[in-house]
Amino acid sequence: MARVPILRVRDLLVATVQEDLRDSDAQALQVDLGLALERTQAAGVIIDISVVEMVDSFLGRLLNDIAAQSRLLGAQTVVVGIQPAVAITLVELGLELRGVRTALDVDRGFTLVRKLIRQEQLRVTTRA
Amino acid sequence: MTEMRRHEELSGDNVQQAEMIAQQRRTIIEMETPVIQVWPGILALPIVGSVDTMRAQQMNETLLDRIVATGSEIVLLDVTGVPVIDTAVSKHLLETVAAARLLGAEVLIVGLSTRTALTLVQLGLDLTSVTTRATMAKGLELAFGRLGLEVLPRRRLSVDPDMGEQ
Repeated sequence: MARVPILRVRDLLVATVQEDLRDSDAQALQVDLGLALERTQAAGVIIDISVVEMVDSFLGRLLNDIAAQSRLLGAQTVVVGIQPAVAITLVELGLELRGVRTALDVDRGFTLVRKLIRQEQLRVTTRA
Repeated sequence: MTEMRRHEELSGDNVQQAEMIAQQRRTIIEMETPVIQVWPGILALPIVGSVDTMRAQQMNETLLDRIVATGSEIVLLDVTGVPVIDTAVSKHLLETVAAARLLGAEVLIVGLSTRTALTLVQLGLDLTSVTTRATMAKGLELAFGRLGLEVLPRRRLSVDPDMGEQ
């Protein structure tokens, strides 16, 4: 059982996956992130999967679900560090993860998530 | 006897030919996917000739590796040299776009001719998920914009190292 550590950095949550995830670990991550979001009211989530070398349709869909779930809880999700081989696999599986925003590394992930949070704030305030 | 010798000669020729073809194929593969870094953060991939499945896969792998190696956020996929973009080719292009996006890079398709655009529309192919521009220049301009850069004419300084005192 490989628990994924979830770090709180200012108003963001950072989950760094440490090894290839089994289905149960991935599901645990989804639940843990949900709970952490609820607890911290974080505005954004960064999931680093740079060490993940194998992704199946289950994990692909789960990443989509996490992004959708976080959005409902008012947080923006960015997945960072997807490996080229993983990207090719996902596209071949027809999982383009359209609901998930991505960045090359954690550093760029921070920049992107900040931008998304600003956009969301703007969208919410202009609608009211 | 002479029959056999002729046979041997022929098969020898065949082997030579096969080697030659293999070598030429290697050369073509090396030539066909030059990924150029045109600016820090911007890659260009000019495609010349038709795109089949094997070539698309190879292109994909090379491009994705280069995106990671250079940490680039924008790719200009230049299709000026692709004679026809049909359903199959556009599928390959869209796969490249999707895979690059997963890494965190945006692909802009540039060099679409009027004729190609017309073909795409007539075939009913949906490219709305991709940003396209007619020329590489326009694409580069857009890429600079995305990175928060702009190109300005150089200001005449009172002392210009190239021009001397004004």
